[in-house]
Formats: sequence, structure tokens, C-alpha cells
Amino acid sequence: MKKVLAMVLALTMMLVMAIPAFADGGSSVQDIIAEAEGMTLEELAQKAIEESNGATFYGVGNSSRGATALPLFIEYLQSIDPDYNMEFDWQQPKNNKIFDQLTADSLKDTGTFAMTLIQDGNQIESKMVQTGVLDTFIPKDWADANGTTAADYAGYLPLQTLNKVFMYNNTGDKTYDNVWDFVAEGEHGLFMDIDSEIVGKNFLYMLTEDSNADNLKAAFDALSADEQAYFQPVVDSLVTDAEDLGLGENGAYALAWIKLWVESYNAQTDDGPICNTLVDQSATDQFGLLVYSKLRSVEESDSVSKNNITVAAYQDGYTGFGGYGYCHYLFVTDNSPLPWTACAFIAYMTCTTDGFSAWGKDIGGYSSNPTVAADNEEIFHHQTGGMAEDGETVEFAALNDAGYDWWTNEGQLVLEDPEYCASVSFTVGSWIEMLTKYSAG
Amino acid sequence: MDAVSARASASTIRLNKVKTFFSKPHNVILLLMGIVLTVSTVAPIVAIVEDTFKIHPGTIDQHLTGMASGYTFANYVDLFTSRLAKTNLWTPLLNTVLLAVGTCVVSILYGGVFAFLVTRTNMAWRKYLSSIFIFPYIMPQWTLAVVWQHLFNSNAVTGTSNGLLAATLGLAMPKWWCQGMFPSVMVLGLHYAPFAYILIGGIFRNMDANLEEAATILDTPKWRTMCKITLPMVKPAILSTILLVFGSSMGSYPVPHYLGLTTLSTKYVSMNSKYTGEASILAIIMMVFGVAIMLLNQLSLTSRKSYTTVTGKSGQISKISLGKRGRYIIALVLVFLTFFTSIFPIVSFGFETFLPNPGDYSFLYTGNTANLTTKWWLTSENVTENGMYGQKGMLYNSTIWNAFKGTMMVSVCCALLAGSIGTLIGYAVSKQRRSKWANYVNSVAFLPYLMPSIAVGVAFFILFSNQYMNLFNTYTLLIIVGTIKYIPFASRSALNSMLQLSGEIEEAAIIQDIPWIKRMTRIIIPIQKSSIISGYLLPFMTCLRELSLFMLLCTQGFILSTTLDYFDEMGLYAFSSGINLILIVTILVCNALVNKITGASLDKGIGG
Repeated sequence: MKKVLAMVLALTMMLVMAIPAFADGGSSVQDIIAEAEGMTLEELAQKAIEESNGATFYGVGNSSRGATALPLFIEYLQSIDPDYNMEFDWQQPKNNKIFDQLTADSLKDTGTFAMTLIQDGNQIESKMVQTGVLDTFIPKDWADANGTTAADYAGYLPLQTLNKVFMYNNTGDKTYDNVWDFVAEGEHGLFMDIDSEIVGKNFLYMLTEDSNADNLKAAFDALSADEQAYFQPVVDSLVTDAEDLGLGENGAYALAWIKLWVESYNAQTDDGPICNTLVDQSATDQFGLLVYSKLRSVEESDSVSKNNITVAAYQDGYTGFGGYGYCHYLFVTDNSPLPWTACAFIAYMTCTTDGFSAWGKDIGGYSSNPTVAADNEEIFHHQTGGMAEDGETVEFAALNDAGYDWWTNEGQLVLEDPEYCASVSFTVGSWIEMLTKYSAG
Repeated sequence: MDAVSARASASTIRLNKVKTFFSKPHNVILLLMGIVLTVSTVAPIVAIVEDTFKIHPGTIDQHLTGMASGYTFANYVDLFTSRLAKTNLWTPLLNTVLLAVGTCVVSILYGGVFAFLVTRTNMAWRKYLSSIFIFPYIMPQWTLAVVWQHLFNSNAVTGTSNGLLAATLGLAMPKWWCQGMFPSVMVLGLHYAPFAYILIGGIFRNMDANLEEAATILDTPKWRTMCKITLPMVKPAILSTILLVFGSSMGSYPVPHYLGLTTLSTKYVSMNSKYTGEASILAIIMMVFGVAIMLLNQLSLTSRKSYTTVTGKSGQISKISLGKRGRYIIALVLVFLTFFTSIFPIVSFGFETFLPNPGDYSFLYTGNTANLTTKWWLTSENVTENGMYGQKGMLYNSTIWNAFKGTMMVSVCCALLAGSIGTLIGYAVSKQRRSKWANYVNSVAFLPYLMPSIAVGVAFFILFSNQYMNLFNTYTLLIIVGTIKYIPFASRSALNSMLQLSGEIEEAAIIQDIPWIKRMTRIIIPIQKSSIISGYLLPFMTCLRELSLFMLLCTQGFILSTTLDYFDEMGLYAFSSGINLILIVTILVCNALVNKITGASLDKGIGG
């Protein structure tokens, strides 16, 4: 009897000890991710083949190119095991529905979506990561290429950084050589509405971060006295607001630029129509802030030309930031039905040139893996993409993509920081919402 | 003994009553439909109401309450009282009401005058004008908005690409003409004018002219005859048009979105990421308007005077003479107007698919054919170099053709389900016209139609996005929502036609002991097949180009309208124009086929 009692007590104690250990250990997907982070792509591919042969892989993302990358991934797995096959379904919801969709899917024990490719660090942080809907997986090969380890790396896994840059129609005489020129009196830049594409709002949040506000102040100082005289009263009127919002010493400059921008930009439904407008010769002196890659799809005609465009930051003597950058992040869902396959697919996209090829053709999109980025440049020659076949004549200057390093240094690209965005979303964010947007109508 | 037998007989009587009740098919239909429709209408409303109290992580309610889950009134307090109340609620609400009222006015004036001219005058080319007038209704509503932009936008005023007028004539229209309330009202008014034409025209066609002739004999001035006789006669049709148009225009998302007007619909979409609960309150406000319109309609029905249009005394319609020249001049004006609302969009869509870049009208002012291309149709490879944005040409584009298949499937299923359910409801209600339950079923079936589409979509999205059932991006969800939304097309159409049928016809068959199914399929449906088929045709055609209802329920390549909207937003007008052409041709072919086979056609329905 005593033995039985002792065994029962021992079992109870083990259970009591085991429960918190299990609770602290996280989900089974997190366990798999922890294991997967120590594996090479080849090892992950083997696991994926065992897990998903004959299955259907569901992915959801802000980029439709996930659907282009998946067949390449399947081909890669078939190169290891010719009998391998997997069906796939890639969805690209609109109107911010991706967050609702992932949240609804997270309520199931086993979800539908294996992974996601998602943008808008602010909402990812507050709606997806803090709530445990998505888990970050850092592939070993990616960490090696970036000189780090999964344990040391803090942050999400970016597939690529995309840039939106200031461009203007150069068929007139007007030039824009300072970032404050874009918010000068009478200017109405073409820009996707910040309520349609939230990364645009994140860009405005990021301007209030100290280093960006300092850059804005430096650009302000480079203006002529006359130009400064126009902006100075706006800056002065926002000093108190900047203090109330807890911003740094140049916060008022950031708020002034944001205020003038929100109250002047001409909202458009997408970057496509903005590009269509700017490349036409009729758009004399118009400018916009849009995805750089849109330029590649313009066809030359009697009134439309890529040479009608100047990328503002490429001009000698340009002062201030030349645009902003945001990331496409990759995550495994916390209830992923195919976690090994999701990890392998993520590793394939971030660690191989083939995996990145769905996005690699475009200018203005830079792989987060320096090795892949270099290989991609070798293949597509984006930095000389605007040169004629002789390699010396400049055919389309705007198409010569200066590359990630140039844009983040000389181009002063304003890069999205998810945590910072989430932290000011209801302070700076609410302040922005109080501003009266410009209406062309 | 007496007490026992009394109890037994009472229970027998009850049993017999129940048996008798269920022996009548219309009772069974009413009971079943009453329950099903109550659940399908109330459940989404309950879901969306709950959503307004729920705390959503990462949104304003979490920020205000400091909690990540649970329930709160914070969304209501913030929406109605915060500093953003004017921006987020009152201005969009005012714009929405103005848009809905303006749309009603434009559609009734344009459609009503057109109906009068076609039915009551000797205007020339009436048949052609009558057919062409319903084209704007066939096309997705926002395509007219896009055409408006292509026509009137200019670099000088809207800061965008030059539209056709600016590019070819150098004409820049003023801002108020290009964006905001005015173009939104005009576009929606033109889109819904065919409703007014069909409804008001129906009364004009059947109106006994004796009343007007009597007034003429009594030397009554024409304006007085119009105010005291003609207008009161068409008042029910005007009320019906308001009933149909108000809710539809209120819930329109794409038109105000493209034309830069902030309404409750556009605000819902823009607020949903950060103010999720507050956005749901906006959807409820739109629904409240739908319910209020239904109640007002009930009120007007009970207080409405009887305006009989078809009498047994005279079937004569006198046609007003517009004069030898007048009948052609007025017809020419209408040909001109309908050209811009019906023919020009189609020509414009076709032309757009041959432009080298979206909105690039170089060919028009250079005459150089090198400025035209067939790449949007014929590119068979996935390339980005020649401006295809990674898309194949339309003839090879699997996204477009898969979406087309999806649209056809959803439309056929919705039409079959909504048409059948609506016909049964119409039949059952006509059999029990005085029953309160029948009236309730009739009203609850009509309610989803009066609710703005976007609000209905939101409600169903919330209802079916949970741990037990996640139907987002499934045809099942689209078919359920489409069916519920479109039942009124068939129920109204069936009810009106069933009320015209004398009860004796079915009674004769009952006496002959002919089963109900046979009575329906051999007698009732064949007699009223034209109206009943209209009840199938309208859901089908409306579903083909529905966006507001489905846009929150599926991804962009799932059906044709969301694909079209996606390409429009992206600025790939060649693709969106091509899809528009595909839609228009499909609808016209279907309409012609059904018309040929059954004699039914679009303009015999109630509109939607």
C-alpha cells in the first residue's frame, strides 16, 4: 500500500513539475522551429519531403509572387526525391484582410496556412507576434550569411527590403533637390493613401524616430533662408506637440514634414496609376513617392518614356531622405499543419538565388541574404539595368538601381522598425489622424 | 369518463390541426423559410454587434482598455466622443446620406423622364433606346467611375494623367466635376436609373389614360395634371425605386473609393486595421438605415392610398405627340446621352486594351499605329520587361479565366438557390397573404437586400471566421451570402406574379388530387414562367459583377469582380477593361439566350 501511495505521489510530483515545463516550452511548432534553426537547407528539405509528400501546402501573403516561388521549391524537392509531389494554394488577400485571416486561422488547433509572407511591421508586432499567432524561424544558412546565429539575432526574418522613392517628371524645368521641396507650398505629390497601405503610415511614424528626425533637421538647415522662412512657423507651432508626444529634440521638424505631407499629398489607389501618370510627358513637374520597381514595366511610346522620370536621390547635391524602405517578412504560423515544409520553403527563399528569383528580377527589392543579393546582381545587373547594350551609353538613367547599400547610406532610406512603429501607433498615429488630408476633389 | 374523452378529443383536435397545417405545402414552406431566414439574417447581425464590444489585439480598444481580450464599451465611446468623431463618423455619415439621397434623385429623374418619354410619347427610336438604357446596370458600377476618370481627369486639375478630354482637346474640367460628391452621385445615379425606368415605365405602360384625358377635358393646366394625376399614379414606383436604390448606393464601396469621396463604406475599409471594433459600428449604422427604410416602406404601404393602374374599364394609352421634329430632337439628345453612358464605356474598354501603357493615348494625337499593341491579349509568357507586370496576356491568363470560372459557378449556384427559395417564398406568401407570419417571412427575406452590401459582407465574414468554421475565401461562403442577399429578387418577382394568379386554378387541381409538386411544375410555374425566370436571371446577372458584397470575403483572383477591381486599383486598365468586356458579353449572351428560350428578360425583374 505504501509503495502504491509512494508511486502515486511520485507520479503526481512529476506531473506537477512537467506541466509548467510543458507550458513554458511553447507549441510543438516552436519546438520544430528550434530544431530546424540548427539544420542546413538540405536537411530541412529532407524533413519537408517526409512531411508533405502528397499534401497540399497553403500559404498566404502580401506578395502574389509566393505562387511563383512555390513551384520552384517543389522542383527543388523533386531534385532530391523525384517521387515527391505537393499541391499548393497561395492566397493574397486585400484590404488588410491578411491579419483577420491569420487571426481566424490561429483559433484552430491545426491551422490551414503553413506560413506567411507579410508586410507592415507595426501590425505584425501588435496583432501577430505579441498574440503568438506567428513564429519567427531563422534559417541557419541565412544566419551564417549574415554573420549571426538564430539565438543572437533579434527581430523578424525579412525576405527582402523594398524601397519607395521620390521620382519626378523632368519634362519641365523644376527640380527637387531637398526633401523639404516635396512639402513646399503648392506641391501635391502622388502617393498611395496611408489608410490604404499601412506601410505608408509606418513610414511617417519612422520619421519621428531620433535619427530620421535629425536627418530632416539637417536637410532643413541646407535650405535657403527664404525656404526656411516658409517652413519655420510650422516647425515652431509643433514644438509643444513634439514634447507631448515624447519625441526627441528634432521631433518638431519630423512633425512639420509629416503635417505638410499629409495635408498636401494627392492620394492614389496604387503605385501603378502613380507611375502611369509620372512617365507621361503631360505630367510636367509632377512628382510621386512610389515603389521603384514600377518603372521596369513602362513601355516607350510617343508620349510615355522612362526618361521622363528623374529619381530625386540620384541627383548630385540632393539633401535628405530619398524614400523609405519596408520589408516582406516570413513567418511560420504557430499552428502550422506543415511546419517542416514551411521552414524549408522559407530557407529556400532566403538562402538560394532560385528561391529569390520570383522577386529577383525587379529593381528596388533587395534580398536580406547578402550572398543571394550578390548572386542576384550578378544575374540581373540591376545597377546597370538602364545602360544600352554597349554597356557605356546611358539609355534609361532612372533604371540604374544604386543598390541596397547606397540607398540605406547615401539615399538615407527611412527603414521600418516594427517595434518603434507599434510603440508610437497610438501617440504619433493618433496625431496624424487628426490632420486634414488634402483632397483634390 | 367525460373528462378523459374531452382530453382525448382535445388532443385529437390539436393533432388534426397540426396535420391539417402541415398538409398544406405553403405552411411548411413558410415555417421552414421563416426559421432559416431568421437565423441567416439575425446570426450575422448578432456576430457583428458582438464584434463592436470585443477587444481586438493591436487596435484602439486594446490601447484604451489596456486589455488584450474581453469586452468593452470603449469602441462606442471613442467613435462617438473622441476628437476623431467628426472625421471617422459624422462626415462619412453625412456624405453617405447625401450620396444615397442624390443617387435616388438622379436615378428617379433620369429614369423617370426616360420612362415617360419611351412609354407615353411618340419619341423616335424607342426600342433601341429602351434596350441601350439598361447597359449601365449591366456593367459593374465602378467601371463607370473609371470611365469618368478616363474622360475628365487632367494633370492640371487632379494632378493625375490627362484623361481623354484633356489629352485630345486640352479641356480641364473643374475639381468638383472630377472628384468627390458630384461624380459619385452621377455615376451611381446613372447606374441605378434603369431601376427607375423599369419600375416607373411599368406603371406608365399600364396606366389608364382616361384620368388624364378627363383632366384635359376639364381644361386643367398640364403642370396640374402632372402633379395631381400622373405623379400620384407613379408614386408607388418612385417609392419602390427609393427602397431599392437608397440601400444599394449607401453600401457602395468602389464608386466613392475611386472618385475620392469618404463614406461609411470607404471609412469602414480604412478604419478596419486600427479601429476594428469601431469599423463594425459603422457597418451597424449602415444596417440600421436598411432596417429603417424597410420600416418606412411598411408604414407607407399601410398608409398608402390605392393607385390602381390596371382597371377593367379601359386599356387605352394615349401617346403624347412631341411634334414632327421634336420626336427626333429629343430622341437624338437621348441617343447622345446613352452613347456616353452605354456605348462609350464599351468602346473605351476595348480601346484601352490596345494602348501600350495604361492611359497612354499617344495614338489619338499622333495617329502612329506603333502606339498601339496587342500585348495585353496575346502575350503568352510571364514577363515583366514589356510592361505586363508579370502577367500573361488575357487570352492566356489563368488568373482571369479561373476567376471567370469561379464567378460563373457562384452566379449559377446563387441564381438557382435564390431563385428557387424566392419562388417558394413568393408562392407561400401569396397563399397566406393575411397571415402575420407570412408577412414576417416576406419582410425578413427582403431585409438583406435593404442592408448595404458591404455591411452584409462584413457581418458574414465575422460570423464565419472562428475556430469552428473558417469559410473565408471559399465558394461556399460566397454562395451562402449571395443567395441570402439575392432571394428578394426572386421572392418579389414570384410574389407579384403569384398574386395575379387566381386561386381557382390551383384549387381545380387540388380537387383532382394532383400532388403539389405536379401542380407547381405543370400549372403554376409554366403560367408564370416569365416572371419566375426573371427571378433567376437577376441574381445571376447581379452576382456576375458584384463587388461590395464579396470584396471582404475572398482574395482578389477568386472571382472576376475582385480580379477586375484588383487590376483597376493597380492601374492595369487594359486588364480591367478586358475583364469588363468579358463580363458585358457574358451578360448580354445570357440575357439573349434566356430571352430567346423563355421570353423572360432583365427588364422584367425588379432590379438590384
